[in-house]
Amino acid sequence: MKLTEIQADALGELGNIGAAHAATTLSQMLMSDIEMDVPSVDIIDIAQFYQCVGDEKVALVVFRIDGGVEGEGFVVMMMPLPSAMRMTNTMLGMDDMDREINEMDQSAIIEIGNIMVSAFLDATATLLGIVMLPSPPALCIDMAHAGMEALIAEVAMETNDVVIFRTNLTCGQHAIDGTILMFLTPEMLGNLLSLLEALTSQGM
Amino acid sequence: MAEFRPIDVNARFIGIGEYYVGRDAMTTIGLGSCIALILHDERHEVGAMAHVMLPESKGQTDRPGKYADTALATLLEGLGPFGSRNGSIRAKMVGGANMFGFNDNNLNIGERNIEAVHRVLDERRIALDAEDVGGKVGRSVMYNPKAGGTIVVRRADGVCAEL
Repeated sequence: MKLTEIQADALGELGNIGAAHAATTLSQMLMSDIEMDVPSVDIIDIAQFYQCVGDEKVALVVFRIDGGVEGEGFVVMMMPLPSAMRMTNTMLGMDDMDREINEMDQSAIIEIGNIMVSAFLDATATLLGIVMLPSPPALCIDMAHAGMEALIAEVAMETNDVVIFRTNLTCGQHAIDGTILMFLTPEMLGNLLSLLEALTSQGM
Repeated sequence: MAEFRPIDVNARFIGIGEYYVGRDAMTTIGLGSCIALILHDERHEVGAMAHVMLPESKGQTDRPGKYADTALATLLEGLGPFGSRNGSIRAKMVGGANMFGFNDNNLNIGERNIEAVHRVLDERRIALDAEDVGGKVGRSVMYNPKAGGTIVVRRADGVCAEL
């Protein structure tokens, strides 16, 4: 499976709009500026996945994409553990970094992920003129690669390629780094691409 | 204390759906729902590892390491030329976690992978020596056929244990 340059650009732009909305919500919650890098869209062979995501300990909040597009897809908010802790500290007005992640942190991480990913999906769906909703969130605090294996197993059941969209968000003031990732089956990718093509042909 | 240093020992990295048969050290990083199936032949100091993602191949043949049924058959076939016979091969397995604690049977692929690997080992009458499976924890695993078949499992908090 290969994307044409136009398809990769269109998908990148779609993700860009989504991520920008997600970044805005994070910026409001932290009351700080958020920088966003240029999103990448890659088709990766499952065997190479360990080269994209390692086994460092992170917080992952995972959402299945529900709604108007056929196929399977997931959106993930990933944050290195120290960043996640600085984020909840900032929000809850604490500064203790020398502690274990507690229930309050977990609720805050899930809630922030929920707000960001809802904004991400809402912005992309609105652009496409469809409805895409996040499923209830699931949290995992463990190795990044380990957390994502179950998602890969879902989207790569019948293929060895996964479509991965990713963009990094950074809050310099509080030293918080996060990544938004989207995993799609070829089916959902195809459907999103035809919606995008329909938009472009209307002279977007 | 067990050590986990795949880079130092120049281990072969086995990605999702891949496998390796031979005498080099091998490693799999960040196992969640997937399973590292390891076969060790002490007599011939040779072994094999597959990074199994799904229980059944349902006729797919392009990535034998990806499915429990095809992975075991392929590893055994690969060990044949080294002189290994079923009687001298012992198996270990690591992984099969349920990282998000999903109750939904469909999403608990880890559990289904564990069952499938147990089943195919039984079918081929390969003895399962040890396992570190299930739960809600990610694992990295390192195996060196020349080091007596010892496996080192590392968890996200950095704690290593021998299996």
